[in-house]
Parts: sequence; structure tokens; C-alpha cells
Amino acid sequence: MNEEADTKPAAGLGEPGEHPLSVLLFSWMRSAHFDRLFLAIVAAACAVAFALEFLTPRQTYSTLESVPGFFAGFGFAAFGLAALSGWPLGRLMRRREDYYEDKKREGGDDD
Amino acid sequence: MTIERLLEIAVTVNPGFYLIAAAALAAMARGSAARAVVLIGAPLLALGVLLYPPLSGAEVSRSSFLGFELALYRPDSLSLVFGLGFVLAALLCGIYSLHREDRVQDAAGLVLAGAALAAAFVGDLVSLVVFWEIVGLGSALLVFAGRGTAEGRGAGAAGMRYLVMQMVSGLLLMAGVAMYGVHAGTFLLAELGPLREGVLVGVFDIRAPGALAILAGVGIKAAFPLVHNWTTDAYSSASETGSVIVSAYTATLAVYVLARGFAGLEWLIWIGAAMAAFPVFFAVMENDLRKVLAYSSVNQIGFMVCAVGIGTPLALNGAAAHAVAHIVFKGLLFMSMGAVLLRLGTTRATELGGLHRTMPYTTLFCLVGAASISAFPLFAGFASKSMILSATHAGPDLYGVWLVLLFASAGVLEHSGIKIPYFAFFSRDSGKRPAEAPFNMLLAMGLAAALCLAIGLSPGWFYELMPYQDRAREYLALDLFTPAHILQQLQVLLFAVLAFLLLKRFRLHPPPQEGVILDAEWLWRKAAPVVLRRATPAVVVVSRHASEAGARLSARVLGGARQVLAPSGAVSRNFPLAAGAVWTACLLAFVVFVVMFDPL
Repeated sequence: MNEEADTKPAAGLGEPGEHPLSVLLFSWMRSAHFDRLFLAIVAAACAVAFALEFLTPRQTYSTLESVPGFFAGFGFAAFGLAALSGWPLGRLMRRREDYYEDKKREGGDDD
Repeated sequence: MTIERLLEIAVTVNPGFYLIAAAALAAMARGSAARAVVLIGAPLLALGVLLYPPLSGAEVSRSSFLGFELALYRPDSLSLVFGLGFVLAALLCGIYSLHREDRVQDAAGLVLAGAALAAAFVGDLVSLVVFWEIVGLGSALLVFAGRGTAEGRGAGAAGMRYLVMQMVSGLLLMAGVAMYGVHAGTFLLAELGPLREGVLVGVFDIRAPGALAILAGVGIKAAFPLVHNWTTDAYSSASETGSVIVSAYTATLAVYVLARGFAGLEWLIWIGAAMAAFPVFFAVMENDLRKVLAYSSVNQIGFMVCAVGIGTPLALNGAAAHAVAHIVFKGLLFMSMGAVLLRLGTTRATELGGLHRTMPYTTLFCLVGAASISAFPLFAGFASKSMILSATHAGPDLYGVWLVLLFASAGVLEHSGIKIPYFAFFSRDSGKRPAEAPFNMLLAMGLAAALCLAIGLSPGWFYELMPYQDRAREYLALDLFTPAHILQQLQVLLFAVLAFLLLKRFRLHPPPQEGVILDAEWLWRKAAPVVLRRATPAVVVVSRHASEAGARLSARVLGGARQVLAPSGAVSRNFPLAAGAVWTACLLAFVVFVVMFDPL
């Protein structure tokens, strides 16, 4: 591909050598306020999803499911648990990259 | 012979045989055009045979070999849906591999695809064992072939470990099948158990001799907990094409055999729930994104194993649909990581980031795969995962299983829905500006993404192929697209995304870090060699004593024999003729006795 010559975007849009489709689809994500804006959009979507629960007929199979906001809370807590577990578990179970390599064959392929 | 007659014969052949035959052509094909014809034409031919309508439900091809009655082609609704997944995978992998002129990988890939497809369509246990072994060998060859690639430094050792696991799996299956078949008096699947609501599933009785060995053999290939590390080992060591191919077939075939043989076995519910949950924690820590996908595969296979254990028509529809959808969306994710590997020589999250700038198509396709595996509504995984979760409402005793699977659903979003695309294509800018993936890779990814959307946006056509069509239709019409169900799913996913954004904002989300993560493989990669090394001196002493004792014993035996058989020995003396006749008669009587009462 001749990205350098063919795909050079217009000045101010994207970076030199960047693919035009990337400029079109993703360059807006690089704005200084994107993180806050995206967080606000997702938070608003969450609020709407939570509010809609009271407007739609329930479809539950257990008492826990009928608690308002159960799925919202469960999704939030489950993701938080999974992600935060990475700190202590990583400290406990992460070893250096060559941990399994045979030291007798230093510098050689382990094949 | 007319063309019609030839076609009639062609559609009575197990479609997997066409792919295996094509492997021989692939091994000889030279040039891009010839490779394209073989790698794309063979799966299309198999697809045509597979979809030929008059054959479904009939035993088409029978033969006999070494006294075993074989049913080489017995299509039914269960084999059809898995077969469709295998053929689609062969087609996508064929297109995806075109840039790499490697005849060994081309041939091994087609052998693997053909053997898996053939195994899904055979109707007897002997043929199943044969194709099961071929799947193991073909996939091991693909892992070994990673040696010549950018990140295949440990591919040789990983291939050996993978081969050992596959061979152990094959031997257990073979031993189990031998015991089970002899006990049941038949090796034909159709004669082993009755149909369940019109479908031949759950044919094995777990209490019968050999059934546990079969389950153990299949369990290794299905990546049951503690024997799951062949996935992380092999998927991250194979080439960019090899990992896509291996991930599509090996464990999925095991799910098919579990459904055929052990549907409704309660143990599988809990094994599956464990498989769905524990990889979430490992995937969070893992730095190599192909290993993350391997853990993600174990997690998704867990959903299927759990559904097979529940064993209701809804659950089995969910397992079958999720198996095929998983082939497509996990294949898509592996393809996107393969494109990154091809361009940069690594898939370690610590070395990636910001690749969307020059790989926008790959980024988009990866996002489609991520949305599908996360079960966002209107994407491929939504309906199948919903079916499995709904199947856990079959009884109050499955409530805990439902909670575990719901947790696993949120976990999938963490490792496959967010971690893979975020750390590879967004996140911090690594400064790397690789070229976009080759056209054939983009085409394969585009087709897989289109399939994800086709299954998600209009699931009706796909669920018509399920083993229990009426139940699938009913679920789609009454349960899937209800506002309450869509809202529940959106709540889980949106709030999980919110959790991610908040954790990132407050710098609480663990960043990718270099290093390997200890897992069950530590037992045989680290502990076993240490134990053997420590035990070696004791073993040497014991074997020396044993060898000395053996030498003393043999000296005594030989000395005694010499005294008896030597020219001056006991047996060399002259005996009367009558005594010789008596001894001869005794010998004959012994032979007759052995022949008459020989159990064989």
C-alpha cells in the first residue's frame, strides 16, 4: 500500500500517514475532552436504561431479578470485581517472561 | 455415467472426506491461483454436499472394516449445525491464509477441518476415534508450523506439549470406546441410545464401563479446568493463520461429542460453570492478547458445556448455536490479532496501542467481533447466550449456575469486549504505524463480521438450522426480543462499560504488564521436572538394586536350565516309548483345552 503518497489526509485532519477511514471514524476520539464526554454519554445511557426498567413490563424468574436495578448493579459489580482482581492476583501469580525457559539452554531456542 | 448419477454418488460421501482429499492437492498446489482454488473451492464443495436436502436424518453410507460395522455418513440436525460451523470456518480460514505461501499449513489446515467435519457426520464410535486422532495430529502440525513465524519462538516445545495432551485425549477416548462398545455390543451411535425428542443426543450411560474414560478424553479436548492450558499454550504459539484454524475446530468438536454422548449429564453443568467463570480472572492479568483470547475461548466453551449438561431442547439449541456463532466471532477476533501479529510480530498489550490510525478496517472488524462475543443485542452472541442463560431457569437448583454465567457474561465484556480492541487499537499511542492487513485477511474478516451481523440482526434463518427447530422458533418469537430481555442485557453491559470508564478515570484498572501468569500448566512445566530431578537419585538406587537382583535371579534360572537341558541333563536321558506317548497326549490335551476355552 502507498499510504505515504495516497492516503495523506488534509491538514488538520488526522496525522501524516494516517488512513482516511481512521480520520473519518476515529479522529474525534482524540479530542482533549473525549474521555469526559464519553463517560458522560455512557452515564446518561445507563440512567436511561435504569429509568426504562420502570416503564417496561418485567420478565423475571426469581425474586432477585425483580429487585429494581438488579442487572445494572450486577453488571457494574461483576465488571469491577473482575477488573480489580487483576491487582492482587497479578502480584501473586505474575512471573518474569522467561520463567518457564530452561536455564541450561541459555540463549537457545526452546524448540 | 451421467452427471446426475455422479452427483447422486457425490452427495452420499461424508463432506469431510472432500476436505481431506483437498489437503493432498493443497500439499502440491503451487501459485496463488491454484492455492485459492483448493483452499476456497474445497469448503464450497463440502458446503454444497452438506446442504443437499434429501439426506438429512438418513444413514447414507455404511461399510465394514476389520469386523467393525462403520457408518461413515450419518447426517442429522445436530451434525448439520456443527458441520455448517466447521465448513464456514474452513472457508474463512482458506481466504485468510492466502497471503502465506505455506503448503504444510495449507494441507494441515484442510486435514484438520476435514477430520473435524467427518467426525461430526460419522455414525459410529470407531470412525469417531479415527477422526478424533487425525484432528489432534493435524492441529499439532499447525502449532509446530508456528516455528517459522515472528512470535513462534516456543512453538516447537508448545507443539510437543500440545501433541502429548491430544494423544492422551485420543488414547482415553480409544480405551473408553473399546470398553463401552464391547459392553454395549455395538459401536453404532444409533444403536447405543434412543432418540430424545427426535434427536440422537446423550447416548452414553455414564455408569457403563468405559464412559468415564470417554468423558475424560473429550474433557481434555474441551479444555476442562486443570487441563485447559493447551489452549493458551497452542493458540499463542501458532502462526497468525494457525491459531485461527486450531481455535475453530478442536474444542468445538469436543462440545459436539459431549452433546452427542453426554447431554443431560449433571456434572457438566458445574464443570461448564467453572469453565465460564475462572478464565475471567486469568484473562484480566494476561498481557499476550492471543492468550487472552484463549482464556476467552475456555470461558465461551464453558457456556456450551453448561448448556449440554442442562440438556433440555432449549439448552442444546443454545449450545449448538453458540458453538457456531463462537467459531465466527472468536475466529474474527483471532483474525484481527493475527493481522496485528503479521504486521508487528507481537500481540503483547504492552507493545501495542493506537493501531487504529493505520489499521482502521481491522479495528472495525475487531469491534464487531468484540460486540458479538459480549452479546450486545443485534450481534451474533446475543441470541445464543440468551438461550443458554434462559435454559438455566429450568429449575430452582440451577439458580446459582445462572448467577455464575451472568458474572461470566460481564467478565467476557472485560477481557474480550474491551481489553482486546482497547489495548491493541486504542489506549495509549505506541507510536507504531503498521500497514493495514493484506486484502485476503480483510476479506475474511469482513465476511466473518458480516456473518456476525447477519446472525444478530436476522437470527431466524440461523436458528432454523438448530436441532430442535420448533423450540428455537418459539424462543425467538416469544422471549428473545422482548423489551424486558433487551433492557436487562443492555443494563448489564452498559453498567459494565461505566465501571470500566470509572476505573480508567481513577486509574484503578490494572494496566497490562509483562510476564507470564502461573496456571495449572505450572504442574507439568515446573513442578513435575523438579520432582523428577529430585527423585532421580532415589530412582537410580532402586533401579540398581532391582537390576542386581534380576541378574542374580536370571543366573539361578539359567543354571537350573543348564542342569536340566544339558547333554548330561535330566531331559537327555532315555525314556521308554510309552512315557513319550503319555507326554505327547498330555501336550495335545493342553492344546485342545486352550483352543476350546479361548475367550477369543
